[in-house]
Amino acid sequence: MAIKTQTFIDPFQGTPQRFAATVLGMWVFLVVVAMLFLGAIMGYLVVRVNPNLEAPFIPEGATGLPVSLVFSTIALMASSYSMHQATLHVRQGRPQEAHWSMTITMLLACVFLALQVFAWVTLWQQNVLFGDSLYAWSFYVLTGLHALHVLAGFVPLIRVWRKTARGGYSKQYPEGIVYCEMYWHLLGAIWLALYFTLWLGMRT
Amino acid sequence: MTTINLSQPLDTATRPDNYLTHTRGFMSWAFTLDHKRIGVMYMVSVLISFFVGGVFALLVRTELLTPGQTIPGVTADVYNHFFTLHGAIMVFLVIIPSIPAALGNFIMPIMLGAKDVAFPRLNLFSYYLWLFGALFTVSSLLLGGFDTGWTFYTPYSTTTPAGGVIPALTGVFILGFSSIFTGLNFIVTVHKLRPPGMTWFRMPLFLWAIYATAIIQVLATPVLGITLLLLIVERAFNIGIFDPSMGGDPVLYQHFFWFYSHPAVYIMILPAMGIISELISVHAHRHIFGYKFIALSSIAIAIFSFLVWGHHMFTSGQSPLLNTLFSLISFSVAIPSAVKVFNWMSTLYKGNIVLNTPMLYALSFLVLFTIGGLTGIHLATLNTDVHLHDTYFVVAHFHYVMMGSALIGMIGGLHHWWPKMTGRMYNENLGRIACIIVFIGFNVTFFTQFFLGSQGMPRRYYDYLPEYQIYHVISTIGSYIMASGFLLTAYYLLASLFGGRIAPANPWGGRSLEWQCASPPPFDNFATQPRVGDCYDFTAIRWDEKEQGYVTDPALDSTKNSQFAAKNLH
Ligand code: HEM
Ligand SMILES: [Cu+2]
Repeated sequence: MAIKTQTFIDPFQGTPQRFAATVLGMWVFLVVVAMLFLGAIMGYLVVRVNPNLEAPFIPEGATGLPVSLVFSTIALMASSYSMHQATLHVRQGRPQEAHWSMTITMLLACVFLALQVFAWVTLWQQNVLFGDSLYAWSFYVLTGLHALHVLAGFVPLIRVWRKTARGGYSKQYPEGIVYCEMYWHLLGAIWLALYFTLWLGMRT
Repeated sequence: MTTINLSQPLDTATRPDNYLTHTRGFMSWAFTLDHKRIGVMYMVSVLISFFVGGVFALLVRTELLTPGQTIPGVTADVYNHFFTLHGAIMVFLVIIPSIPAALGNFIMPIMLGAKDVAFPRLNLFSYYLWLFGALFTVSSLLLGGFDTGWTFYTPYSTTTPAGGVIPALTGVFILGFSSIFTGLNFIVTVHKLRPPGMTWFRMPLFLWAIYATAIIQVLATPVLGITLLLLIVERAFNIGIFDPSMGGDPVLYQHFFWFYSHPAVYIMILPAMGIISELISVHAHRHIFGYKFIALSSIAIAIFSFLVWGHHMFTSGQSPLLNTLFSLISFSVAIPSAVKVFNWMSTLYKGNIVLNTPMLYALSFLVLFTIGGLTGIHLATLNTDVHLHDTYFVVAHFHYVMMGSALIGMIGGLHHWWPKMTGRMYNENLGRIACIIVFIGFNVTFFTQFFLGSQGMPRRYYDYLPEYQIYHVISTIGSYIMASGFLLTAYYLLASLFGGRIAPANPWGGRSLEWQCASPPPFDNFATQPRVGDCYDFTAIRWDEKEQGYVTDPALDSTKNSQFAAKNLH
């Protein structure tokens, strides 16, 4: 459903200016998302290093981070790579390959999400429950928040995927796919930071 | 001679309609992408919220007329809801969006000679985020209200039985994103849509202020977002990182909250400072003094603002080292603020000052901001703050800066740009009278509270010792005086829409681009992108009887400013 807006007066004088402006806008947007996660990470670290804990931060019975996280990390990195390939194909005028790379990116993103769900289930089976300890709470909240952002990323992914099917991007100003790529790389970077933080949190 | 041509602002002759009449009907407003209409929509919404927040303020003040219960039915609990709603509405719905989103949206693209902000659709989206956020926040009233204070301190906010806490938090969360997207839009607009000739150091100072504000908006507001999110989760599931029983840290909440909210006070004040720079130079008809100092001090304030949040937490048990550092850095914020004040005073010195309504508001700002800023120094001093923290002294301090400065600046700007926005002049004498009433009422209300606070009256209290009553009575009377001033303002502004004199393009003698297009502006602002020179050079401006406004006289122009006007005459 498209909302019909009133007369649109384009503030830009042509595609190059709009492209440059939107890339800048995306950078600002990436900073916004990064600040959000930075806040979450800082909060986690502060409660993690709290010296006045009565019980140990990691409750007994918890066996550490689920191993599946290693594989989900690989999946997400690979999807970042194929997203990058897709843009490259567009820029070098290979629309067919670009579409293939987008398909792979989306499949890998699905694999990532599936593996994250698997990790939650694993923890849950080990009786690491959301409401039982801050250890569990922060794991679910941090990874959940990130997974939500990946899920939301499917909106641009699908749009770009459909447009690459039509070969709809220009070589010089491949607008949508570049913005999508920027967001996607950020999600990869944030995941690495989160994973590292959680891993640090497991040290004693 | 060319002068005759130039007395006609560009486009008025060729295009009979303006942005208000270009299209008609409800849908043409609800789905408009025009930054001017979106600005007007924000302005109306903000002013309505201001009215609602004001009613709560009067209820709070009336309740405090006597110790114990004053208004029948208003118990201590109801009182807590009153001041919480008052604070939350005024901060999140009124002051934060008032200048950037309302006035900024309207004026900024025109000042840049642009046709719109960089992302008009995002701009409309921000407005609807504001609207939904506002509805959520206010709907909490029906769902049991919230009594946490606008600061939502834990652990009270996670344990209070009041049912409206989660809706309110959600509302503020959404409002935050409205603010973020507005900031994003403005950053890109300033970077990418400046016209030829407008280098960074030729931008009107209002734009510098809006730009510095936008940087704070995008850097600080996400932290508020995550804080509120964590708070919502904690309240919903009864566990979270602010909960000490599980090893969490309630003071962490305060750190998070003030990491946003101290910069947020500069989201409020910086744009007002930008307005004051415009008002003072235009209405004193004098080139702004120390342009670069004013511009760069905005950036300095934006940077400093991120380093002082701990001054709200001197008594929270944070380490003495941190306290000392935060105190020290807080003092240094006063430097760029003072730089601005001195430059404004130098601009006024030997200026050709016109004491009209916008100028009176600007002068009020100078007085009130000086008092507000200097009392901030008292509070940033560690040992005095231990005494003054959480007393009416703090209440008085932040009302001087938030209301006396940010809001007064906004109202001054509203008067300054009113002819541009509506095409009508308001009644100047009523404007002056109302401004003086507000100024007197404000000081009676809040100066009194400095005495109250320094004698130990705590803030957010329903009941008090009889010794304090005289101050409370004076303060309440002041608030009634102030309210009558605002009602008078509402009256003559509304009246001007129907009977006001038709505004000329340039009623005050301004030089920046918004005064070069018609009042009200055409729907696309400028037919072609104008060229610009020094927007504070008033030498070429002279009064024109026929036009009943100011015109640019190229014969007097020392710079090559008038080039753009000539170029735009079709
Ligand atoms: C010279 C600059 C300033 C300094 C040094 C300063 C210092 C302080 C300090 C130390 C406090 C904490 C007092 C306490 O709770 O014990 C405070 C409170 C406050 N200030 Fe300022 N301030 C300055 C300017 C401003 C400005 C420009 C604004 C807003 C536009 C502002 C808004 C507030 C608010 C809202 C509070 C109270 C928040 C609350 O607890 O509800 N301040 N200020
Ligand atoms: Cu502060």
